[in-house]
Amino acid sequence: MQQEPQKHALAEAAIPEPPAKPEGPGGAPDAANEPEQVLRPEDEALVVERLRELGYIE
Amino acid sequence: MQAKPNIILISADSLRANHLGCYGYTLPTSPNIDAFAGQGALFEKVFAPGIPTQPSHTTIFTGQHPVTHGVVAHGGKAKLGRGTPFLSEILLENGYTTCAVDTLFRERIWFGRGWEYIIDPSLHHLFYASVTQEELNDRAIHWMKTVPKGPFFMFIHYWDVHYPYTPPDRMRGLFYKGGNPTDPDNHELDEWWDHPVGAMARDTWLRTANGLITDPNYVTALYDREVRYLDEGIAALSDALDKQGLAENTMVVLLADHGESMTDHRIFYDHYGLHDCVVRVPTIIRWPGGNVKPGTRFAPFRQLSDIAPTLLEAAGSELPEDLDGKSFLPQLVGREEPSGYDQVVGLESTWQSKYYLRNSRYKFILARYPDLLGNPDRELFDLEADPGEDHNIAADQPQLAADMERELEAWIAAKMEAAGRTEDPVTKEGPVAVEIWEQHRA
Repeated sequence: MQQEPQKHALAEAAIPEPPAKPEGPGGAPDAANEPEQVLRPEDEALVVERLRELGYIE
Repeated sequence: MQAKPNIILISADSLRANHLGCYGYTLPTSPNIDAFAGQGALFEKVFAPGIPTQPSHTTIFTGQHPVTHGVVAHGGKAKLGRGTPFLSEILLENGYTTCAVDTLFRERIWFGRGWEYIIDPSLHHLFYASVTQEELNDRAIHWMKTVPKGPFFMFIHYWDVHYPYTPPDRMRGLFYKGGNPTDPDNHELDEWWDHPVGAMARDTWLRTANGLITDPNYVTALYDREVRYLDEGIAALSDALDKQGLAENTMVVLLADHGESMTDHRIFYDHYGLHDCVVRVPTIIRWPGGNVKPGTRFAPFRQLSDIAPTLLEAAGSELPEDLDGKSFLPQLVGREEPSGYDQVVGLESTWQSKYYLRNSRYKFILARYPDLLGNPDRELFDLEADPGEDHNIAADQPQLAADMERELEAWIAAKMEAAGRTEDPVTKEGPVAVEIWEQHRA
């Protein structure tokens, strides 16, 4: 369900544009070195199982 | 224009105040929320009387302190009394069409009270906190466009910032200054793996094809990306209100139930411990038609228990007598000078069983049971000299610690008496999650 960022009135009214290309706070783009994070269904199921064990969720 | 305002209450679960630009964060996590704050009023010092999610939201909806309503733990045994006033129920009775875009009712039945409509797109996920702002906004905006024929009250509960931190892939690179996120020689998170929530993270959302994420700076960057993603959702919702011509007469309240500890105080990426990173919450209110002056900042202490009475007064509803919170509506709309509490009291009884008493200078934390981290049962922090609450000065200032402990105990006793309680609810519940975890391990 995640989409590309869209322009919004709030952003146009009062703030600078978000960076076109993500970059670190020091200004050095580092995305290429980052691991791809994938939460697989079995991972999500394990999260639910563990939190259920703790009484966090029913 | 209809006489009563529409009200949208937004809870951003686990949103830490000082990770927003308008609360002083230096990274650009929140350009749209900052702009939203510039159009309304920002409250600098709002505290959660109870953490985490279930106790805090119970306070938000009842206007009562957890000692009064009794729900002091997440997953605890206490149930909310049927006679306790509930915000959505009162607004429904006063002519509002009410809608929750939320998951909470699945866990505790009282969160279903007073809603004519409940929309829950998290049913499409195994774990409800995996629901995204886009999924919630899709439904919320459609509902606003098509259903209400008069004033409405909508509650939207965003989970993006809550763990697991899995921001959109397009945000890779954002807020991380570099290094190796999966360096096997980095052991800064090792202590977390001994905690069940840390072990869960290690076994699931921190695993990548490159190996286990071991750099806490990278995990914090993932959190900040989630804040940025949420920020886009706030902008989309605000846009929808503008396009429908609803912005002027809609009071929009953006708050969090609690904050988040990153690695603070050896509490990793979770929301327990009664330090300000967790109990101080962002609160921003925009209401152009209600004479809320754009860009106002309120410094006095307020509590989340003040939200329900403030919204009820804005809606023209009579306030129940048994609320602990006080409406700040007259101040919000400029009829009174800003004012607040000299001190606030809060509690937790999930991973730790503790109370805090906080004034403008000091915070005293009192444990009812020893905590897992081996902290002393009594902690005192000088927030002026030590805003990070890193140095316990209880032994250095025993008289002050004793005075604050006495004051805290007297406050608890008075609140219990007013609520008709004979047993301290925190002592009664104990650290619920710890007890369940220990039973499971045994």
